[in-house]
Amino acid sequence: MKNIKFKGVKFLLIVFFLYCLLFIFDNINALNSISKSLSILVTLIPIFIFIILLTALINYFLKPKQILKHFGEDSGKAGIFYSVMGGILSHGPMYAWYGMLNDMREHGLKDSLIVIFLYSRAVKLPLLPLMISIFGVTYSIILNIYIIIFAIIQGLIFDKFKKLY
Amino acid sequence: MKINQEITFKKAFIGSFGSFISILPMMVAIIALVGIFQTYITSSMISSFFGYGEFTDIFTGTFIGSIAVGHGSIGFIIAQGLKEQGVSLYALSSFTLAWVILGFIQLPAEASVFGVKFTIFRNILAFISTIFIAYCTVLTMRLF
Repeated sequence: MKNIKFKGVKFLLIVFFLYCLLFIFDNINALNSISKSLSILVTLIPIFIFIILLTALINYFLKPKQILKHFGEDSGKAGIFYSVMGGILSHGPMYAWYGMLNDMREHGLKDSLIVIFLYSRAVKLPLLPLMISIFGVTYSIILNIYIIIFAIIQGLIFDKFKKLY
Repeated sequence: MKINQEITFKKAFIGSFGSFISILPMMVAIIALVGIFQTYITSSMISSFFGYGEFTDIFTGTFIGSIAVGHGSIGFIIAQGLKEQGVSLYALSSFTLAWVILGFIQLPAEASVFGVKFTIFRNILAFISTIFIAYCTVLTMRLF
């Protein structure tokens, strides 16, 4: 395994410090927070395994040249389509996908497609029945169509202004 | 040939596992923060922020949804409670959408992976889009 460069170490230290403060001033809620965090971690383990396997499969089947073809500068409408579909079909928290996206980015994935992928994740297929039961079918359809439209718009804006960042 | 492919997949797996390990501190930090937020921020606290007009509600909904964290289903369940309390559809739309897609808590993590400028630019766009989507959805609903 190549030398691992850890990301977010400072962030983790800040959170650790926050927990130290909580333990001093609000011991019970600090324990509650740890218990909630652990239960979240347990529910995320299958998603983490899935993402590790998916990243391995992408790296195995999609060589850098193919990534450039499907998700690079010249990927066009197909790249947008794949990003929207990928975002809709991806599960788990957004941060769980950062590693895979960064990996693909290093192989040529366009930033605007990352933007489209991340916002398309707002279309939550598993939550659709719950959404329909609360807001109705018409509302759910309209909202999800707007989400896809605005995800694409964000990607296009990102492409236009990429020199700014 | 088969052996060669197996070695290649093994390498791909090790590489992907390494990528995952590299962002592990960041993920542990986020999960630990989510635990704190879920302990201290309650749904009754959230409902007290709404009811000050359409535009204020949309903005407040987006803002609170961005701060609040948790599984998407929790966001919808809170929204159901807020709906029963008479909170406007503008507020509910922006709140649930921001809940599932925005997260101030994730900003340091996103910045450490993709860079600060990318993260700021993307999140500003996402924040504005959420406001527009909430507004457009309710306006379109009126046509039906």
